Amino acid sequence: MAEVLDYVQFVLAPQVVTGLAFGVAVILVAIGLTIIFGLLDVINMSHGEFYAFGAFAALALGWLGLPFWLLLILVPLAMLPVGYAVERMLIQRVFNRPDRHVTTLLLTFGLGLVLEDAFRLGFGPNPYRPDTPIPGAVELFGIFLPNYRLFLIVVGAVVIAAVALVVYRTRLGAMVRAAAFDRNMAASLGVPVAWVYAGAFAFGISLAGFAGVLLAPIYSVFPTMGRDFILMAFTVVIVGGMGSIAGAVVAGLFLTQVQAIAALYISPVWTDPIVFGIMVVMLMVRPQGLFGRLGYA
Amino acid sequence: MVKAFQTSALAALFAAAAVTGVRAADPIRIGVVTPLSGTYAGIGQQVRWGLDLAVKEVNAAGGIMGRPIELLYEDEEANPAVAVQKAEKLFEVAKVDFLTGTVSSGSTLAVGQLAERAGKLIATTVSFADSITGDRCSPNVFRVNARAGQQSAALAVWLSKEKPQAKVFYLGPDYEMGRSTVAAFKASAEKVGASTVGEVFAPLDAKDYTQYFGQVRAARPQVLYTSVAGNDTVRLLSQLQEFGLLNNLSLVGASGTVTSQNIAAIGKAAEGFVTGVGYSTEINSPENKKFVDAFKAAYKAEPDLYGADSYGLIYAYKAAVEKAKSTETDKVREALRGLKWMTPQGEKTIRAGDHQAIQAMYVVRITNGQFKIGGEVKGDDAIGPDTCTRF
Repeated sequence: MAEVLDYVQFVLAPQVVTGLAFGVAVILVAIGLTIIFGLLDVINMSHGEFYAFGAFAALALGWLGLPFWLLLILVPLAMLPVGYAVERMLIQRVFNRPDRHVTTLLLTFGLGLVLEDAFRLGFGPNPYRPDTPIPGAVELFGIFLPNYRLFLIVVGAVVIAAVALVVYRTRLGAMVRAAAFDRNMAASLGVPVAWVYAGAFAFGISLAGFAGVLLAPIYSVFPTMGRDFILMAFTVVIVGGMGSIAGAVVAGLFLTQVQAIAALYISPVWTDPIVFGIMVVMLMVRPQGLFGRLGYA
Repeated sequence: MVKAFQTSALAALFAAAAVTGVRAADPIRIGVVTPLSGTYAGIGQQVRWGLDLAVKEVNAAGGIMGRPIELLYEDEEANPAVAVQKAEKLFEVAKVDFLTGTVSSGSTLAVGQLAERAGKLIATTVSFADSITGDRCSPNVFRVNARAGQQSAALAVWLSKEKPQAKVFYLGPDYEMGRSTVAAFKASAEKVGASTVGEVFAPLDAKDYTQYFGQVRAARPQVLYTSVAGNDTVRLLSQLQEFGLLNNLSLVGASGTVTSQNIAAIGKAAEGFVTGVGYSTEINSPENKKFVDAFKAAYKAEPDLYGADSYGLIYAYKAAVEKAKSTETDKVREALRGLKWMTPQGEKTIRAGDHQAIQAMYVVRITNGQFKIGGEVKGDDAIGPDTCTRF
């Protein structure tokens, strides 16, 4: 009996808790992706590179002496105009064509490649790791958790809740959902649709940048870091329902727990096949995902 | 008709070149097929610097039997298929006398097979895989650097001395290199009395190693062996530190795990990491001091093991050709077998039975961000048995 308790306390519980921290990280990246898809109907292939953009921006500004806490607010704000400009100057150019899915996918894919090489030219191919802003760790019921991971779970949960609140409970959110549901009707009722589109894209990019700043001390910073989360984030968006915030949260937590438990009981090597297998089954059985699209629920 | 004429003219030209090839002042051509672009470009750069420096010195001192050495470079892009194509070009068109430079073990094995068919000799100064001078050995392939088995043997000697009867946990990347390095060190460690308490293979480019820490913690090891590399090391080591696992755990690993490329990013978490390698700039010998000074003066960079081993190869080839008084394949092969020569690491010997260089091995420990030599293992203690059965 003691052995079973020992196992639960030292192996299973920490596995679930660290899986939770990873889940919050994935949801932060996926939520911007799902908003952009749900509203603009654009599959943003460069989302991972904007996540890296945030991390590199924080790295460079950190060298200038700015403290981490300021950067956590400053970098996402600074990325709003970047996202706004990308939407107005690049996405809109190919947006109103009949083959919008193909053109925007290729455009954002190309943009991702350009950004990745720009990081390589600017910062070199080797990794950097910013110091953990909150060192130390806590022990709760024998479960060891670094303070920074605890901070990540709390801040991530707050940000995710705030985003959901804005989208589902405010007038601004109602305009966004209306524009997603029926663009023309929303426009005729006085919703500034063009502004809403660019604003939502900028907001999604800003969230990716926020995730980049927040996760850099854990996952380190290097030019190809954008590819790390993007597959997992896409899987979360597909399983949760494209454009659904609640879906991204549920699917993000579910899939990362599946990963954590599968790594323990099956083999670490099988975690990716299992997660992507779930995605394939989901596409076959319920292609719209667990929850419906933004504006439809 | 015109084409036939062109071909025969070309053939005549080559024949002429072949005839004049024996004239004393003609250069000895050495082909270098090495990655000059792509992931391994950093390694290829060291190979090139090492070879260039040695050739400059040899040529300044009168060359080999009065003939200067000429190096012909080709980029293999760390791709065995490209390596074979470029090596074939060097053998057939440029008529090189000798070939070196291959980095990945796959390229070395593939080019080795080609060399056998072409009746030429090659040597690698970088590849680690034991099989190159083991079960897949070739009479036409030599290795002047230390293989994976020598590195783990050196580390095992350290382990038996510093952590006798240690409980070891293994964490490797899930592909050929990761599995073979773990297997090699496990065999060496168990031979000196260590016990295995668990092993995990994580996918390459794993984001979060924390999901394996439960198993590590439950196994209560005293030593953690890892062979991850590059960015993966940065994450693994910093996450281990973050979770407080480094406090009562000795970290050991493959020689490619912590390198000058990623040590800055790992920072304090790399402190105390121990590995077995065939070279360090810290080696305290006049040969090494001279080499390091010349290298730094020429390239404004420190040499690493690849640069040092590539530099040493030119002197091995020089010694062999002078002993054989010829550049013919069979004669040079005989001369290389059992050859003893001086390198920055001291004297090396090429074992006749498997064409593997025997050399002193070093245990290196990271102290204050520097690779410090913590011990030396004699060449004969680290080399291991000759498992080559082909010749």
